[in-house]
Formats: sequence, C-alpha cells, structure tokens
Amino acid sequence: MKSWKIGVLGLVVVLLFGLLAVADDPVTITFWHAMSSRHQPNLQKLIDDFMVEYPNITVEAIYQGGYGDLQQKINAAVVAGNVPAIAQVYENWVTPIVEVLYPIGPAMTDEEKADIIDGLVGSNTYNGILYTVPFNKSIMVFYYRKDLVPTPPVTWEEYLQMAKDLTADTNDDGTIDQFGTGFRPAANPEQFLNFLDEAGGSILNEDWTEVTINNEAGLQAMEYAVSLAPYSLVTSSYMSDAFQANQVCMFIDTSAGYYYNNQAAETAGFEMGVVRVPMGPVNQRSMIQGTNLAVFDINQTQAQKDAAVLLARFLLRAENTVFWAEKGGYQPVTKSAYVTEEWESWVATHEYQQAMSAQMLDGFAQILHPNYGDIRYVIATMFEEAMLGEATPKEALDNGAAEIEALLE
Amino acid sequence: MDSRYLIDKHFLRQHTYRLLLYLLLFVSCAIMLLPFFWMVTTSFKLESEVLRMPPQWFPKDWLWRNYIKAWNVAPFGRYFFNSFFMAITTTIGEVITTILAAYAFAKMRFFGKNVLFAILLATLMIPGQMLLIPNYVTITRLGWFDRYEALIIPWLASVFGIFLLRQFFRSIPDELQDAARIDGCSRLRFLWQIVVPLSKPAIMTVALLKFLGSWNAFLWVLIMTNSNKMRTVPVGLTLFSSEVGTAYEQLMAASVLAIIPVLILFFFTQKQFIQGVARTGIK
Repeated sequence: MKSWKIGVLGLVVVLLFGLLAVADDPVTITFWHAMSSRHQPNLQKLIDDFMVEYPNITVEAIYQGGYGDLQQKINAAVVAGNVPAIAQVYENWVTPIVEVLYPIGPAMTDEEKADIIDGLVGSNTYNGILYTVPFNKSIMVFYYRKDLVPTPPVTWEEYLQMAKDLTADTNDDGTIDQFGTGFRPAANPEQFLNFLDEAGGSILNEDWTEVTINNEAGLQAMEYAVSLAPYSLVTSSYMSDAFQANQVCMFIDTSAGYYYNNQAAETAGFEMGVVRVPMGPVNQRSMIQGTNLAVFDINQTQAQKDAAVLLARFLLRAENTVFWAEKGGYQPVTKSAYVTEEWESWVATHEYQQAMSAQMLDGFAQILHPNYGDIRYVIATMFEEAMLGEATPKEALDNGAAEIEALLE
Repeated sequence: MDSRYLIDKHFLRQHTYRLLLYLLLFVSCAIMLLPFFWMVTTSFKLESEVLRMPPQWFPKDWLWRNYIKAWNVAPFGRYFFNSFFMAITTTIGEVITTILAAYAFAKMRFFGKNVLFAILLATLMIPGQMLLIPNYVTITRLGWFDRYEALIIPWLASVFGIFLLRQFFRSIPDELQDAARIDGCSRLRFLWQIVVPLSKPAIMTVALLKFLGSWNAFLWVLIMTNSNKMRTVPVGLTLFSSEVGTAYEQLMAASVLAIIPVLILFFFTQKQFIQGVARTGIK
C-alpha cells in the first residue's frame, strides 16, 4: 500500500475514533424546574429513563421553588451568566431573553415539529423559529357536581341559568351558602380570558400595537362574567377548597387541578364530572396553561446544548408525554400521543380525560408579549373589580385597557 | 353604710375585673393558638380530613406517616443543619458587627458621622427584590454561589440592627463613658464591660430577630443556591405546594418540625425577648 493511502486510512481511523470519543464523552447538564413534590418522582423517572438511553449524559434536576421564584432565578442567572442547560419557562419569560436561548426546533425532525399540538406551536415560536417546546401543559375545563347537575351546561346561556337555579340559602339563615359557580379572579384571570376568547376577543391585536381587550367582544365577555357574579363565590382560595365545603356546584379550572378537585369531591361525598367549557358566542375554546422547555446558549458547551436538546426531544416522545400526563394530571403535548394505544386505553378508563383531550386539541395559548406577567396582573385586577361590583364591566375594561396600554410602551 | 357591704362590693368588683381580664386573655390566647393547633392536628390528618366542612378538629387516626412522608420528600436533615448553621453564624456575626457600629454612631465623634448614618438608613428604603439580581451577580462573581459564604457573609451586618442599638446606646449617659475613660478604660473595654451588659435586652432583640429572619429566609437561599446540600428548611417547605393545590397534611408536618427549634429558642430566651420588645417597642 502506498504511503499516502496508509496516511489517509490512518487519518480516517483517528477521526472516527475521535468522533466516537466525543460522542461518548460524559456530559452533565442541569435542568431547573418548579415541579412540586407530587410531580418530582415522575419527572425523575423520565430523567432516569433518559440517562439509561444516553448513558454518557447526566441530568441534574434542580428544584427552584414556584414559578415566580424560577423566573427570578432565570433572570438573575442570565445576567450573571450561570444559566442551566435547560429550564421550564413560561412563554412571556422567553421573549426578553430569546437571544440567550439555543433554539430546539432546528435540531428536531420535521415530523417531530409537525407532531406538536397546533395551539402550542405559535406560543413556542420566536422570530419564526421554534425556540422552545411544550412540557407540562394543562387546559381549562368545566368541573361540576354530578348529584346537583345531571346534565352539564353546553352553552353560556345554560351555564348562567343553571348557576342561577343552583344558588341557594340552604340553611335559611339569610345568606347564600351554595353558589351555582365560583371564580378566583385574582389568582386565575384565565377564567375571564376563556370568556374573552369564546366571544372572539383578544387582549392585544396581532402585532401588539393596540389594546383590544375593551372592544365589543371584550365587553360581551366581561358582561357575561358579571351576569354570573350574583350566583358566584368570588374567592382567592383554591376552587377545590370551596368545592369540598359544598360552596360551589360547578366551575372552570385547569385540568392540572383534577387531582385536588376530585379529592375534594370524594371527601365531600359526591361525584365530580368534567366536560368542555360551555360554548361561547364564537367558539368553545379554552386556555392552555403550563410551561415549555428552553435550552440556554450561554456558558454551555456544544455537548451540553446538544444533550439538553436531546432531553427536550425525549420528553416530547409520545410514550413520555403520555406517562407525564397520566401521572401528573397534565395533557400530552403531541398529536401522536393522543392516538397511542396507551393513551386511548387511559382515556377509555378515565372518563374525565375525554373532555380534557378534546379541549386541549383546540386550545389557545398565552400571548408572548414580554410584559404578559404585568398584563395578566392588570386583567386579574379588572376581572376582580367587575366580579365584586366595584366597577361596571365597561369601567373595569377601560381602566384595565389604559393600564395595559401603558405596559406596551 | 355597712362596712362589710363596702368590702364585699370592692371584693366583688376586683374579682369581676380579674375574671373579665382572664376571660379576655383566654380568648386572645385561644385565637393566637388556633393556627398552631390547626397546624399540629392537620399534620396528623388524612388528606381528605384537612379541609372538611364543618371543620374536623381532631384526626380520626393520628397518622405519624405524614411526618415520615414529609421528611422523605427532601433531605430535610441536611436542610435543618444548614438552617441552624446559617442562623447561628449570622446571628453571632451580626450581633458583633452591629454592637461595634452602633457604638461608633452613638458615642464617637468622627467626620461625616451623620451623613454616613443617613446613607445607611437610606439603604433600608431600597426594596430587597430590586437588589436581588445585582446581588446574585456579585455573589456569582465572588465565586460564592451555592456555598455557605453566600448564605452567611452578606448577612453579617444589618442596618436595622445598627439603628436599633444606636438608639439604645444613646440612652446611656455620656458621663458614664467620660468617667470610665478618666479611669483609664479603653473604648472597647467600656463597650464590652459597661454598654453591652446594660443593653442586653436590646441586643437580645437584635439577635432573636436575626435568628428568626435567618431561620425563615427563603428567597435569598433559593436564588443563591442550587444544590440540596446548601438549601434550608423554608425552601423545603415550598415543595408541598403547587399552582393548583397543596399537600396540607405534609406541609403542616414539615412546618411543625420547622418551628420546634424556634419554639425551644423562645422558651429559653422569652424573658429577654419580652424585655426587648417592651423597651424597644419592636416585635
């Protein structure tokens, strides 16, 4: 063999070994999350499975408190430059820090990208690129007491009528102790955002240049919410607490609250049903909640970024998103997950999941505006004011719109 | 008028007053104790018994397993050690630095004293949240992130403590200092042998407030640490709550464990604590 051939062969061998060595190089990544003790064993199981499949990757899952704490920590870490490889993020957290993220989409196959539920693609896309991927997603659904509501309401009108009929002073002491429905405006303004979307409204226009929450559709949504107010328990506590105390008969809440709501129903001694939210004038959609996964681009080696992307893709796999949904009360985030045998049999044996799945597949997501956190707070305040009768629906909306306007500047 | 009648009337009035007083104290005490009672009984309840209406005051079965479950959710042993270590070291450190600084501001004359003190007080007006990111960056650049240095060193001094002790030290007559100095007593000796013993209640208050503050510190610890080996009890307590619900029975079990050291501390120091509160008007 000629010497140059030997040389080339040698080079190829060295390169191949080199590549193999790189591929097998141990890499450690950190995953910042806000999952409470109930979810942590499930998350760890998924991570353990991932580490079995990729033995050279070690994932350190680090709990960073609640979502608010996690956001503060991410913001601080971005400034200090000691970010994790991967973290749970809400849509609006990403917008101001998108330049320090490593986009996951370009490393995914077209099939993987097309598999993400339609309602979740836009909310993970920044500047036309799929930067983040959905992770722990839940959907707003309608919970009700089966003993008092034999046929759950299908339309807004039916919901209002039933709320009225069920509101009662059961012990004749002059005060209402059983409300038809309930709201927690300060903690869960998404209850109003559902009505807003169902009326065809929105918080802002498409390019975030104009506040639209107080237009005709917004007013219709708020007036409807306020028409329910006399028959509603307006509280700041979890709806499950009021449910258990026999104070509310039906309410709109996240599917992630199923475990607690059902526990409340069982304790109080009645059966709970779950259906889609009542149909509004325009649609029957509800809001998808929960976080996505973001991979960071700063202070990470390429191997760490690649490993983090692999983890994000692993968690999107049908079997994993199904496991996460079944164990944690979340909803699968890919279309293929909904047609797996495992999920279909789960839905068949868990009646409530039918409504949740149907609702999830046409759900709408949070807007990506960087100030959404503050905007959400304004909406919560205006919703609460209107529900407590401190302002008329129009006043509440107009005041809120002015505040949101200021947040756009 | 019959004098016996007068005595009886006086006796009756005094006893009625006393009875009413005790009744009021009893009711206030019951109101104060109710959350503790609820915490302790809830820590033994079944999940389904926690929010039952009408309230179930006592658990049907006393479930110790809530404590075991809660303890196993996170490495609470390590968290307790860290909480103790942080609380004790920051308390000792703060008491020393605060006494020295307060003495300087109360009893010494130096250029720019009042301006410096005003600047110190002004730092109290800055909300802690605003400083979180700059502090995080500083801690990270110092290489203290996820280390005891981050949990302890920034808390070794306190403007509030300096302010409190300065006010107290100022009430000690200057003549005492002059006399001591004439007798050849150094400033430091005067401080440790005369000022400190005279100011014990105020110093105890500063120490106790610091201990409680450090024991309950949450956000700072969460932000400045990443690993379980550096975290403290309050961070562990958040594990039981989420956006949609809370495992109350486990949270209460962990909370009972978390307040036991504080209660023990209070039992041993309640005399000084109450004196300190009474003299400084702070609790």
